[in-house]
Amino acid sequence: MTPFEVKDCALLGRMSGLPPAFNLRELRERIAVCGENVLFHHFCETTLRGTFDNPDYRNDFAVWSKLYLGDRVVAERLGILDPYSFPSLGELRAATLDVLDERLGESTMIPWARPGDEFFFLESTTIVFDAGIRFTQPSRLAAFIRKMTNGSVYYHFLEARRRPPLGVDDFTAWLKEDEEANRPYIQALASIDFYFHTLPHLRHELGRVLTEAKVSK
Amino acid sequence: MSATLSAYEGIVGSAVIRQLRRLGEKLKGTRIVHVNSTREGGGVAEILEWMTPLMTELGLNASWEVIHGSGRFFEVTKSIHNGLQGHSVPITGKDWKVYEDVNARNFERLRPALEEADIVVVHDPQPAPLLKLCERRKGKWIWRAHIDISRPFRPAWKVLRTFVEKYDASIFSMAEFAQPLPHPQYLVPPSIDPLSEKNRDMSPEEIEAVRNGFGLDPSRPLLVQISRFDRFKDPVGVIEAYRMVRKVAKVQLVLAGGGASDDPEGTAILEEVMEAAGSDPDIHVLLLPPDSHRTVNALQRLATIILQKSTREGFGLTVTEGMWKGKPVIGGDVGGIRLQVVPHHTGFLVNTPEGAAHRIRYLLHHQDGIERMGTTAREFVRENFLLTRHIREYLTLMLVTLRDPRANFIQV
Repeated sequence: MTPFEVKDCALLGRMSGLPPAFNLRELRERIAVCGENVLFHHFCETTLRGTFDNPDYRNDFAVWSKLYLGDRVVAERLGILDPYSFPSLGELRAATLDVLDERLGESTMIPWARPGDEFFFLESTTIVFDAGIRFTQPSRLAAFIRKMTNGSVYYHFLEARRRPPLGVDDFTAWLKEDEEANRPYIQALASIDFYFHTLPHLRHELGRVLTEAKVSK
Repeated sequence: MSATLSAYEGIVGSAVIRQLRRLGEKLKGTRIVHVNSTREGGGVAEILEWMTPLMTELGLNASWEVIHGSGRFFEVTKSIHNGLQGHSVPITGKDWKVYEDVNARNFERLRPALEEADIVVVHDPQPAPLLKLCERRKGKWIWRAHIDISRPFRPAWKVLRTFVEKYDASIFSMAEFAQPLPHPQYLVPPSIDPLSEKNRDMSPEEIEAVRNGFGLDPSRPLLVQISRFDRFKDPVGVIEAYRMVRKVAKVQLVLAGGGASDDPEGTAILEEVMEAAGSDPDIHVLLLPPDSHRTVNALQRLATIILQKSTREGFGLTVTEGMWKGKPVIGGDVGGIRLQVVPHHTGFLVNTPEGAAHRIRYLLHHQDGIERMGTTAREFVRENFLLTRHIREYLTLMLVTLRDPRANFIQV
């Protein structure tokens, strides 16, 4: 097999330039027009951002709706959206707007946040660089993943799904070079419900399932 | 003396250090100059104290310059600082002239370093006019705002904006702190150094020595607020909260802080605090010298609960420090404290002395909560708010600024 080249990435957040949203209607209006980079940031990159919280939901729109709008119904509906299950960010945007339109249609009063609790629309630049690590044996994948930074785990297992081959993480794409021999590992990776993990938990889970696959192989 | 990068491996893991070294290689030899207004006292000086040598270790050509000013200059910049945080302060044309003149004098001294730098990071409002003076600059200039300027006193911001809008980019600690500006506004929360004198592990003997030195009773709960004697930190409100708790629990209170050389208001506030404390032997008001880092460290470790009842706050590094010592924090519902203190998870957010008193009593009744919240708090700091994350974001920012400030994806 060709060597697996470990990359790393670092994220730098910045203001998107969109005005903040103070209520559910403004949230809907901004999501309708924001850049795809903004949408991606709040649905996917949020996991790589420093936080003191481990919120119930993994996208910022759901967290804000729960904490600051106090609308648990829309928070639950937004929270279950898995961005990696949509073929494109355009379709993710459409699904998000459907949720918000449905809720706005049901509401007799628009939920709003107090000043200071508004939603800020962010985006970020991702810097990708070579981590300087190579390995060739699939049996050592678990050990290498356990030593990876959050940035490497994010880049290879989550961000990879945006790159061709779409929807496939880098580890699986590499293991498919010898699909028959590596089937237990490929199945192990596919078994993870990854969107709902923090990156440290995801790293632990990747290590665990790959080790189990190695034992059973 | 700052620690070397490898000394942090035991705390954050070798992968994190390796990541920094790889990023540093991409910026080898880059000349970066940090400029601020004080060498000691306050969070900014503390950050630059470790950041500059670590950037040098990573291969950058990093330096830290400090502007010098008269007492009058620092009174003016304190007014600007207060104005940016929303306080209605009169700043006259003559004051702005003092502000510009002092910067002009400093510029002459700093000119060679500033003109040749690849990146200049100007911290807070005090040195902001340097950019306008540096007409032959070669590099990129970044304004780093450490304070919350989300709701400024408009006349103060209107003038300051003319100095900062020409920068190539600005950095804010949180989105909530930013003001619209015509350049990229990056978000980089600050951090703490786990190996600094203020945060490193201490032996039980060292901690006990500090307890004994201040006459603190080991058998009773201790409330500790560490901060400069500054109106926005609401030390008098903390004493009010303490008095409400004292009606039912024999707690002790420590209000400890140093002065900063760029903060002329400290003495007046300290007098107000002393008056509010009166002759209560269980209120310990400690004006500490700027190098009392180990004393602060010990006081935070001795605390049962850390308080930071600010009414305005930048990021609130004393909160981060308290959390690193595994303590729950009762903090004002403002600024960066809101980012750090998650109610029932790592502490409580309060808006009034009554709220603070209520939460102190709540925690005193839930000892298991004190331990659980403290443990959670420490792990969040380890993952996200230690200096290794902070340096990574600065290195990333430099790469982005030097290559393509508005790119979404850069491969280096």
